[in-house]
Amino acid sequence: MDFISNLSHNEQFLIILLTPLVSALLIALFLRRRGTLAMTVSVLAAFIIMAVSLNLLIDWNGKAFESSMQWMSLGSFHIDMGFYFDHQAALLLFVVSFVGFWIHVFSLGYMDDDNSQARFFGGLSIFMFSMLGIVLANNLFMIFVFWELVGFSSYMLIAHYFDTKEAASASKKAFIVNRVGDFGFLIGIVWTYWHFGTVNLVELKHMVGVDPSLIVAGIAFLLMCGFLGKSAQFPLHVWLPDAMAGPTPISALIHAATMVAAGIYFLCRVDFLFPAEVKNVILWLGAIMTAYAGFCALGQRDIKKILAYSTLSQLGYMAVAYGLGYPGLALFHLACHGFFKALLFLGSGSVIHACHHEQDIFKMGGLIKRMPVTSICFALGTMALCAVTYTSGYFSKDAIIEAAFLKNRSVYWVVYGAAFLTSVYMGRLFWVAFLGKPNSEKAANAKESSIFMLLPLIVLATLSVLGGYTKFWPQEMDDVFIHQLHYVYETIGDLGLDPAMLLAGIAAWALGLLITFFFYHPGAKEDRLEQKARPLYLLFKNKLWFDEVYNWYVAKVQDRVANVFGFLDLALISGVAVRGTAGVVGLFGIFFRGLHVGNLHGYVYWFLAGFVLFCAFAFGFL
Amino acid sequence: MLGLQGYLIISTLLFAIGFFGVLLRRNTLVLYMSLELMLNSVNLALVAFSRYNNIMDGNLFVFFIITVAAAEVAVGLAIIVALFRKCRSLMVQDLTRLHN
Repeated sequence: MDFISNLSHNEQFLIILLTPLVSALLIALFLRRRGTLAMTVSVLAAFIIMAVSLNLLIDWNGKAFESSMQWMSLGSFHIDMGFYFDHQAALLLFVVSFVGFWIHVFSLGYMDDDNSQARFFGGLSIFMFSMLGIVLANNLFMIFVFWELVGFSSYMLIAHYFDTKEAASASKKAFIVNRVGDFGFLIGIVWTYWHFGTVNLVELKHMVGVDPSLIVAGIAFLLMCGFLGKSAQFPLHVWLPDAMAGPTPISALIHAATMVAAGIYFLCRVDFLFPAEVKNVILWLGAIMTAYAGFCALGQRDIKKILAYSTLSQLGYMAVAYGLGYPGLALFHLACHGFFKALLFLGSGSVIHACHHEQDIFKMGGLIKRMPVTSICFALGTMALCAVTYTSGYFSKDAIIEAAFLKNRSVYWVVYGAAFLTSVYMGRLFWVAFLGKPNSEKAANAKESSIFMLLPLIVLATLSVLGGYTKFWPQEMDDVFIHQLHYVYETIGDLGLDPAMLLAGIAAWALGLLITFFFYHPGAKEDRLEQKARPLYLLFKNKLWFDEVYNWYVAKVQDRVANVFGFLDLALISGVAVRGTAGVVGLFGIFFRGLHVGNLHGYVYWFLAGFVLFCAFAFGFL
Repeated sequence: MLGLQGYLIISTLLFAIGFFGVLLRRNTLVLYMSLELMLNSVNLALVAFSRYNNIMDGNLFVFFIITVAAAEVAVGLAIIVALFRKCRSLMVQDLTRLHN
C-alpha cells in the first residue's frame, strides 16, 4: 500500500472516482459478451475503491480538504469540478466503498445464473462512479451532474430484467418521479447561483456564516425537492417500492444503502442553507413517512417490498433527525442503516436465490433449518432494524427518537409508534418466512448459498451489530455525529429519563416481535390479518391509493394538457414555422429556376442586365 | 496621323464588333473570337493612352494582359475542343444541358 500512501489526496480521490468509470467503460466497450471477465473487472474496481478509500481514511489528518479545477466556462459563467472532503464525506465514502464492495462480492454469487452479467456489472460500476461523485463533489452543479448519473444507473439496473413488464415500467416510474424532484432541484441550484454568485459549498458556507440573512426559504425549499425525489419521501415516495423489480443486490446497494441515502447526505452538505421553517417541513414529511411506510409494509407479501417500505420508513427517521436540527444523527443512522439494510436485502437475495426466485413470504417458511447462516444473519439484521437494545439500530434510531422527545413531542409519538410498527412488520416477515415448516416445493428444496453470498452477509451482520458503538468509529467522527449523540444522551440523562427511554425502546421492539409471533404464527400459510380484518389489510395493501391518484392525475389532467401542447406544436411550430418557411423558400426556388433557360445568349443578356444594374448603382441612379 | 481620338474610335469600333458578335453569332468558336476581339480593343485603348500621355503604365498593363490572355486562350480552346468531343456540335442552340 506504500505507493498509494505516497500519492497526494487529490490523486487518491481521482483514483477512487475514475476506477469505476474505467471499469464501466471497459465493460461497455469490450466485455459485453464476456460475463465472467466483466464480473472480475467490476469487482476488482470495487476492491480498489475500497482499499484506496480505507487507506485514505486511515492516513487522513482530519482537516477538510478542497481542490477544484475549471470544467467549463461560458463568458463570465464558470462551472468547476472538484473535491471537497470533510468528515461527512469521510463517513459516506466509507459506507459507499465498503458496502459497495461487499455487494459486488455478493453479486458474484447472486448473478451466477444470469445471462447478461456484463450489463449488470457495468451498471454497478457506473453507479459506483456516480455515487462517489456525489460524495466527493465540491459544488452544487457537480452534485447535480452525478445526481442525474445516479438516476440513470438506477434506471438501467432496475430495468435489468427488461423483458418483464413489471421491471420495464418500474424503471420508467423511478426515472420520471425522480425527474419531478430534480426539476425543483435544478431550479434551486440556479437560484442559488443567481443569489449567491457561487455554488461552491465552502464559499456558500462562508457567505452564509458571515451574513445569515442571505438564507432564502425558497432556495431551501427547491433544493428539498431533489431530496424528496432521490430519498423517496412523501409525496414522491411511489417509485421506491416498485424499484424492487430490479435484481436484489441492486435493491441492497442502490435502493437501500447508498443512493436513497444520497438525499439525506445532500441535505447535510447544504445544512447551512436551510432555515427553520423548511426543516420543519422536512421533519413532518419524515415523521409521516415513518408511520405510513410501516403500515404499508404490513400489507405486502413480497419479501423485498416489505424491506422497501421499511427503507422508506428509515429514511423518514433520517429526515426527522435532520428536521430536528441533528444532521449528525441522520448521518449516523444513514451509516448504520446502510449496514443492516444492505444485510437484510442481501439476506433476502440469498433466500430468493435459494428458492428459485420465489418472493412471497407466505410460500417460504422453515428456512432456518435449510439456510442457517443466511437465517442467523437475517435475524441479526432484523434485530438491528427493530432497534433491539445494544445493536447498531438501537443506538442510531433511539437517539433520533429521544431527540424528537426533547424537541417536538408530537413528532415523538409518531416516530415512537413507527418504531413499534417496524418490529411488527419485521417480526411478521421473520416468523413467517424463516420459522415453521416449508409452505412450497421451492422452499422445501432450498439450499444454503455459496460462500460468495455468505461472506458479505457475515461481514455486514458483524457491522450491523457492532456499528453503533461509538468506540469503533475514529475520533474524527466526533464532528459528524458523536458529539450530537452524546448531547442527546446527556440531556436525556439530565432529565433523569434514560431508564424510561430504555424501557420504552425495549417495549417497542419486544412487544412488536411478540405480538406478531402469536398473531401470525411461525411459518404461516395465509396472512391472518387478511382473514380477520380484510378492510384494514386492503387499506395497507393499497398504500392509501397514491398510485391510483397519480395515475388518474396523469391520465386525466397531464395527458390532456400535453395533448393541447402537442396540437400547438403540430400547428404552430411544425406547421407554420417549419413548413411555412420551407414553403416560402420553395416558391422563390421555383421562380429562379425559370431563369435557367439553358441558352448561352440568354445568359449573356442576364449578364448585360446585371452590368447595367451595377453601373446604375455605381453612378448613383439607384 | 491619326491622333488619340482616332485610336479610341477604332478601339470602340472593335469593342462594338466583338460585343455584337458575342450577342448575335451562334458558333461558340466565333463567340470566343469575339471575346478576344473585345479584349484586344481594350489593349489598343490602353496603349494609345500610354503613348499620348508619355507614361509606361498602360504598356506595362498590356504586356500582362497579353500574357494572361495567351494562357487563357489555350485553356478556352481546350474547353471548346472538349465540348465538341462531348456534344459533336459547337452551335449555341445545341448546348442547352444547363436548362433546368
